[in-house]
Amino acid sequence: MKTSNVLRRVYGVTAALIGVLFFFIIVGVFGLPFAIAGLGVFVVGAVVVCHAFPTERAEL
Amino acid sequence: MKLDPSILARIQFAFTVSFHIIFPTMSIGLASFLAVIEALWLKTKNPTYLQIYRFWLNIFAMGFGIGVVTGIVLSFEFGLGFARFAQMAGPAIGPLIALEVLTAFFLEAGFLGIMLFGLHRVGPKLHFFATCMVAVGTLISASWILSANSWMQTPAGVAIHDGQLTVVNWLHVLMNPSWPYRLPHMLTAAYLTASFMVAGVGAWYLLRGKHQDFARRTVALGTAFATVLIAGQVFIGDLVYGTMLKYQPSKMQAAEGFWEKQSPSPAPYYWFIIPDQKDQRNRFALGTPRLGSIWLTHSLNGRVEGLKNTPRELQPRMALVFYAFRIMYCLAMLMFAIGVASLWLRFRGTLFHSRWFLWMLVCMTPSGIIATLAGWYVAETGRQPWVIYGILRTVDAVSPVPSQALLSTLIAFVCVYAVFITAFLIFTFRIIRRGPVEAPVYPEASGSIKNAFRPHVLDSPKRLADSQFS
Repeated sequence: MKTSNVLRRVYGVTAALIGVLFFFIIVGVFGLPFAIAGLGVFVVGAVVVCHAFPTERAEL
Repeated sequence: MKLDPSILARIQFAFTVSFHIIFPTMSIGLASFLAVIEALWLKTKNPTYLQIYRFWLNIFAMGFGIGVVTGIVLSFEFGLGFARFAQMAGPAIGPLIALEVLTAFFLEAGFLGIMLFGLHRVGPKLHFFATCMVAVGTLISASWILSANSWMQTPAGVAIHDGQLTVVNWLHVLMNPSWPYRLPHMLTAAYLTASFMVAGVGAWYLLRGKHQDFARRTVALGTAFATVLIAGQVFIGDLVYGTMLKYQPSKMQAAEGFWEKQSPSPAPYYWFIIPDQKDQRNRFALGTPRLGSIWLTHSLNGRVEGLKNTPRELQPRMALVFYAFRIMYCLAMLMFAIGVASLWLRFRGTLFHSRWFLWMLVCMTPSGIIATLAGWYVAETGRQPWVIYGILRTVDAVSPVPSQALLSTLIAFVCVYAVFITAFLIFTFRIIRRGPVEAPVYPEASGSIKNAFRPHVLDSPKRLADSQFS
């Protein structure tokens, strides 16, 4: 297996783990203040990623 | 065979309301989506946005029509099948439904014609205003209906004298304890439904290699909306859970699949159970250890309340509530995973090339509808045996009508609604198969309201188009 493939999988697993962590935070496992903060960070992060990587324009 | 009228009345209402809720869910979500798309078109003048608008407007119109027709039936059913409920709860429920018609339905009806048929007849800004008004109308409509239903879940602001209900505080009726949480939960569900529908159809075109520009924009928009919305929905869902645990503990006890008054510590999270309501135990249970404590009590060793805390005669059917809740929750987790995956693929620049992801989006096209239906099943079956929680039992709310009358109307509803859903699916698939039609940058005005909102862009489309591209 090439190093780039290994790295890609590591990144993929890391992204999945971050997603699971956010899910647990947002459902309130760590309390309401953390849930509100987690929701805010996730939403802002999602908006930033969507703005920074406008794939529908870049690939056309 | 002797048929029980109370069972038939409940089956009839369950069938008609389950059928009905599919369409308002789509309409609420699509109306706001169309408003956003039209705003993008007005801002950018990109004809692809107009294509997207026209394409989804057709599907929205069909869904809206069926939603209205099937909604009217429900009002009549209150009187026909549940006359005792209508008689008792009328002072609280009646005005809410009447206000829905007066405020939301009239608003929608007034502007729907312009939205559907006015693109070539009024200016784009007035048309955009009409789209926004229809979207606002759907929100107001949902607000009244959720207020009425939430009052049945958590009744407040009323007093009962001689079996007749009297409103003592309208504000408490309107803003009953569960309404502030259930309204955003339902609205977000509707927006999620539209987002996954839009993304799913776009993904299908990408997989088929058709309508690339249209498909890429709809997939990008649909996944972006869905990602943000599902995070909000998970948060709101947890708040709804906490509220219902406080006001309707039996519902959440049934939803978690525990029977004993206190679950073991740490509590597992059950994914699959075979409940035995008669013996008050699970014949089989499959779960993840400790996850129940973490998710439900937000601690490592917390105990979860079981259904034996509720007297047997006041317990809902665990199997219905449990599996409806699991379907909704598992779909929410899947939606969240897809949202995170879409961000990752966007980051890597492979959002439109990952076939596994596009197939996932196609499979998730009806996920919002299924999750919404499951959520309503949790709400309604979990409230049983009450129709107005703690005040009126469902068996006492049914009309004294012969079972034959209920059976014949139930058969009629099934036949008529089968025609509705068949027609809807045939025309929707036909629209999807045909694909978006090429749209000019500026629609031509025939000019029935020539100067509305000073639509100068329509006065001379050719001149403006020339100046735009010169």
